[in-house]
Amino acid sequence: MAQQRKAMWEADLDEDLQDVDLSLAIGNYGQNGMYEDTQSRIDEATLLAVQQQMAQQAAFAQIPDVVKRFIAHFHQAVLDNNLAEITVAYESGWNRLTEKFYAKTEWPEAEVIAPLVNDDQIFLILYRELYYRHVYSRLSPDIDDRLHSYENSCELFNYLLNSDGPVPLELPEQWLWDIIDEFIYQFQSFCVWRSKVKSKTEEELTMLADANQVWSSYSVLNVLYSLIQKSKINEHLVGLQEGKSAEEISEIVGEYGTRPLYKLLGYFSIIGLLRVHSLLGDFTLALKVMENVELNQKSPFTRVTACHVTTYYYVGFCYIMLRRYPDAIRSFVSILNFILRMRQYHTRSYQYDQINKTADRMYALFAICNALSPTRVDDNISNIVKERYGEQFGKMSRGEEGIPAFEELFLYACPKFISANPPPYDDAELLAAHIEDPPVEPAQRHLALFLAEVRAQAPVPTLRSFLKLYTSLDAKKLASFLDADEEEMVQQLMVMKQASRSVSRVGDEKGLLDGQMISTSDLDFVINENMVHISESTVGRRYAGWFIRNTEHAQRVLDTLRAAPLPVAPKPTGPPAEAGKDGAPASAAPRPQKVAWGSVKAA
Amino acid sequence: MASAANWSSPSTRPPLIETLVSGVDRYNPSNVSILEDYLYHQIRSEEYDCLANLAILKLYQFNPDLYNPDVVINILIKALTSSPFPDFSLCISLLDERPASAASQDEPDPLPTLLPILTALHSLLQQCRFPTFWTLYRSTEVEALRDNYTVECVGFEDAVREVAVRAVKAAFSSIGSERLGTYLDLSGADLSAYVEKLGWIVSNSGVVSIPANPDNQIESTVVQENIQLSQLTKVIAHAAQTSQPAAVPVVN
Repeated sequence: MAQQRKAMWEADLDEDLQDVDLSLAIGNYGQNGMYEDTQSRIDEATLLAVQQQMAQQAAFAQIPDVVKRFIAHFHQAVLDNNLAEITVAYESGWNRLTEKFYAKTEWPEAEVIAPLVNDDQIFLILYRELYYRHVYSRLSPDIDDRLHSYENSCELFNYLLNSDGPVPLELPEQWLWDIIDEFIYQFQSFCVWRSKVKSKTEEELTMLADANQVWSSYSVLNVLYSLIQKSKINEHLVGLQEGKSAEEISEIVGEYGTRPLYKLLGYFSIIGLLRVHSLLGDFTLALKVMENVELNQKSPFTRVTACHVTTYYYVGFCYIMLRRYPDAIRSFVSILNFILRMRQYHTRSYQYDQINKTADRMYALFAICNALSPTRVDDNISNIVKERYGEQFGKMSRGEEGIPAFEELFLYACPKFISANPPPYDDAELLAAHIEDPPVEPAQRHLALFLAEVRAQAPVPTLRSFLKLYTSLDAKKLASFLDADEEEMVQQLMVMKQASRSVSRVGDEKGLLDGQMISTSDLDFVINENMVHISESTVGRRYAGWFIRNTEHAQRVLDTLRAAPLPVAPKPTGPPAEAGKDGAPASAAPRPQKVAWGSVKAA
Repeated sequence: MASAANWSSPSTRPPLIETLVSGVDRYNPSNVSILEDYLYHQIRSEEYDCLANLAILKLYQFNPDLYNPDVVINILIKALTSSPFPDFSLCISLLDERPASAASQDEPDPLPTLLPILTALHSLLQQCRFPTFWTLYRSTEVEALRDNYTVECVGFEDAVREVAVRAVKAAFSSIGSERLGTYLDLSGADLSAYVEKLGWIVSNSGVVSIPANPDNQIESTVVQENIQLSQLTKVIAHAAQTSQPAAVPVVN
């Protein structure tokens, strides 16, 4: 049954997109003739349906009343497009009841709760979206969950994209983000699971052989591009950059793009593409699809924190793979500061954990970038990095011996890379060969490429530490210090020079791939035949921050002192002369002062 | 590459390719031959378009049936000479898994044997070990690559020399011509001609001076702190608020 629905979706989509010129290109390659044996399954399915119905009634009776009421209420809120109520149900009700009743088991199946919501198919699709997300995050999804969650996503996107005109549904921003985020997460999770051939049961092997288009890269990209196209989000963003008025923009984006639901889904799909392309190892394309997105938080297109975090994480990571460390650093610094500022508002969000984990990975990536391209950077962030990754950072700054530290941090902090294609499940012979000689895991391939780059730069820290001591120095002498061949050392100096240059966005370049060559190092040198001349740019010691902070502090202390009631006159103590004599006048007088300091400090 | 713009969209890129590279048509397998033709055009004409070539590899990634080892090898050869920029790694990133071994039925796939060689060559360029690069490149080990591929790639050796020239230009203000010769794999009259073409001047003693450029001009600077008024607003505002002579608290 389910397979039939899927096939119809494909057909509908193709038909509908004929005139959109888009992604016929993406949709239907090699997807023909995959559901040929649906006929024989239908009878089996009818039989099952009767049994299922009975089971469902039993299951329905099991649902706690409070959950039933919640679902009915949730449904009503969706029917009314009541964003406030939907948000409450989505962000707090669902999570509260999950903790209470479904911490370790699935929510009731959609078929079971159908009577509560008048069999409202749209609501049931949304319900399943939550249902499967819960399965993925709390339990371990089996192959049926994985295939069905794909079908449900297809149904949801089919409804959004191929109804007559825009659908009258409204959902909270956060939920819309979560829909796209989860769709890609499940795709990635499926790809990783699919790539592990050895652990599959016979049944799973058969099912995977049949379902080789489920969660295919083309189908995922198709959804994202379709949402982008429908919402005309790119045109929207360009319009904003050109300073067009709201009316002009709604003229441009049309009936879909003017609706928040489509507009946001379109925007989130761009971020989704950034992520999917990164997962597939296409770092240039990942940044290219972001062409029209402006990375600044002055005029945020969305207020969903998780979306910002994802965006900057992947942009930063892509820059690392493009060897544009200054851009990567800038990306991480800006979002990590943002997270620090937002921290106090987000502790209650269920996404807080996720955001924190991503932040921690970004600190690790930041450490990597800073080791490869030592620059003076944001103190706030580098202090936290020192705290968390100080040990690795120390090793990474020492060249060759730091390679294991690079490896450790890269594997910890890199995205969960995937392969675009499944193992050959439909060909027993090839599959056997695949098991015999499994391909290198994607993360390992990307790691190897990254480490090659790190190795090439490995001599730099040592050279740097020597050059720092001189203003000019004979190459031969330097070589003898390093116990190296002079010619080889000169070649390493050229590597060092290259490592101190990078392409970077310096101003208002359009697009994330654009940039200018800049110098990233405070230490520069030039070789005049055999003489190495060195110059260093120093940053004068910074006093202002210290003085400003302490001036402000002193002002606060003075304020407190002024506001404090006059101290009660001290009780007469020993003769004052005595105190003066033995040089300990401290006993009486400073005491109230001490209290004042203490209280200010605590404040 | 002073600016990345010429890398992400070279001025030599025809409009048709631009449409493919920037639009969703890049995913359409039937466009692969257009992109492949464009690659062979680059091979013949000393042009280079990394993003267009990555688009070919993307199509191969999604459609393993399209895989053509000769095309991949040519793409990698082109990417090799863009060092120190990471084009070569970016291309390798897209070579998912091993290419389908099914291809081996008709004729052996040359990529698995050539890939390690290409990687080794790339790694030498990455490390600016130009003399070793030339030794390896001229060795019998690399014969298959030379005879079947790089010989077809117009200006390949000059492209490698340009990699060396870029590195030398940035690091040296003058360099002994013998040393330069080992980097460029040139000597005698060839070297003089090449150096002259670059507009570099050779002194009588055989030292080549390299014209000043932003990378070989060094200067010590001290970056001084510059305090903005905005940093002081809090202090000044506070001072203004409390400037009325208040009763001085008795300090005892």
